[in-house]
Amino acid sequence: MKTTGTPKFIRGMRDTYFDSLFPFFQKDKNLIMVSADNGAPSLDQFVQTLPGQFFNVGIAEASAVGMAAGLAFEGKKSFAYAIAPFISSRVYEQVKLDVCAMNLPVTLLGVGAGYAYDIMGPSHHTTEDISIMRALPHLEVYSPADPVCSSALAQLSVEAKGPQYIRFDRAGIGELYTQATVNDFRAGLSLLKQGKDISILSTGVMVHQALAAAEELEKKGISAAVIDLYRIKPLNVELLLSYCTETKAMVTVEEHLLAGGVGGLIAETFSDEGISMPLLRLGQNDQFVFDYGGREVIWEKTGLDTVSLTQTITNWTENKFAPVRRNNLR
Amino acid sequence: MEKRTDNTFPSFDDLAAKAQWVRNQVLNMATFANSGHVSTAFSQTEVLVALYYGKLLNYNSKEPKWDGRDRFILSKGQGGIGLYPILADVGYFPKTELDSFAGRGNILGVHAEWNIPGIEIITGSLGHGLPMAVGMAQAAKNDGKNHLVFCMLGDAELYEGSNWEAAIMASHLELDNLICIIDRNGQGVMGFTDKINGPNDGPRLNPLDEKFKAFGFDTYVINGHDFSEIFNTFSKVRNRTVKKPMMVIANTEKGHGSDLIANQRMWHYRVPKGEELNQVRDQILAQMACTGKDSGQGTFTLGKKE
Repeated sequence: MKTTGTPKFIRGMRDTYFDSLFPFFQKDKNLIMVSADNGAPSLDQFVQTLPGQFFNVGIAEASAVGMAAGLAFEGKKSFAYAIAPFISSRVYEQVKLDVCAMNLPVTLLGVGAGYAYDIMGPSHHTTEDISIMRALPHLEVYSPADPVCSSALAQLSVEAKGPQYIRFDRAGIGELYTQATVNDFRAGLSLLKQGKDISILSTGVMVHQALAAAEELEKKGISAAVIDLYRIKPLNVELLLSYCTETKAMVTVEEHLLAGGVGGLIAETFSDEGISMPLLRLGQNDQFVFDYGGREVIWEKTGLDTVSLTQTITNWTENKFAPVRRNNLR
Repeated sequence: MEKRTDNTFPSFDDLAAKAQWVRNQVLNMATFANSGHVSTAFSQTEVLVALYYGKLLNYNSKEPKWDGRDRFILSKGQGGIGLYPILADVGYFPKTELDSFAGRGNILGVHAEWNIPGIEIITGSLGHGLPMAVGMAQAAKNDGKNHLVFCMLGDAELYEGSNWEAAIMASHLELDNLICIIDRNGQGVMGFTDKINGPNDGPRLNPLDEKFKAFGFDTYVINGHDFSEIFNTFSKVRNRTVKKPMMVIANTEKGHGSDLIANQRMWHYRVPKGEELNQVRDQILAQMACTGKDSGQGTFTLGKKE
């Protein structure tokens, strides 16, 4: 029998988050984790060494969020952990009423943003969470693009006085940042690459795609800046505008439905701020995905693979940012 | 249980009069706002009156967030209109607030909200109280605190699945500091839960006590309009030895106190008007007078018999 070597386990952004969170839990008994039967290698240390600070409610997200809210109501800082669609859309009303309406310090941890659970179908795809979660008053929404950023978010969670939602990708996403400190991630967004012609703003795993596309665009003579929006709400409008107004146009790239996503957020912001910069929103059109074969297959069908992104952005730039008509957008 | 004769508690007659005073207030409030759930407020009244006036619930109306208080969660948030008169009467906020219920500048909403003194959490959407109560009870366990967490649910609220998720967890965690009450009035919005006479009725909840026993609750079934049974059961809450959450299924009538409304369909959020209103009010005032005690203005002092 042919065997492969031991698979190399790449620490996921969820694991670096939990590893950074653990020392805070050791120091403070008022930090409590509630899991809806979702584990992680990095979560075992909580389970095994912190009695009274870890509860598994079973596959019962309403119970998880409700219990976390009840704990927070009594002065605890609680965390509710599940697969991303189940801690957002499945329990939206619990998040809205139990957590956000009472502004309780509950941090909702969802793993598997966008198409991270690619071949698992629409039940496990999380492509509407940005729009629905950012609609909730008080809720901070984070979408880290790498394990360094997510590691830093642990301290920001402990410090938070109100509710948060953090959408993590699965394991295996490479690092974008080096030697970054927690304070580097308080701004909400960062300029990863300078550019003169256009700005590409993205979040989560798509930041990597944006960087790859920007590299290809350089070869075609288009200088693209790349911005990592790791905090979607509250949006750091001032910093965003200081970056993107240096260029002529803005492209948003997200592994998310276009309705109300990051592109929608930027359109709202431009409108509110009186910015008349051309804006191209790239993401998932108004449809569910039933394509198998992996995340790259979905990206190809959605136009989020590097080749498609590069081509679409190039065409748009060469057409002097004329509006792009797309089918099935609304 | 013998009728109480000591002088530190209001008599059952006093409490019965208070219950009718509450119902009359509910009628006034619902009439003012032309909104509010009258019939469900009428079914829960005796249990709430017993809890708040009968020293069953520990609270401090002058310090609503006193840490040693028992938490009372009205998960059936539509019952807020029936709790507000009691909260005002025991001193959480001025009774004048009742006069402009849900009006401009008023602090009282149709559904119980967390910003009302004496109300702990937002309810109104059903199935939220029990999961939060589980978290609150576990927090008390973690901190070694002795207060209790009460959670009153409507029986038709039990159709919301989140209650059963939380019930599994409450039992698993052995939350003996969690005291659940079901206002078992047998009706939802459209029909009856167990008296099946058409597609508006059901789905059946019975055998409800067996369900909660199977879920690991220390379960009691009482007449929710009988003060003797209410006190007999709730006087046990602080010295139970069984490591289980407690469940009191209080059998009640939706619209109790009014022959017009009681156990009738379609009164879930209907406000009686005109002749209907007179009929309901007359009967309540007559019952209040029958007790021969309170004048209906809530004049007895908690803890001291006149």
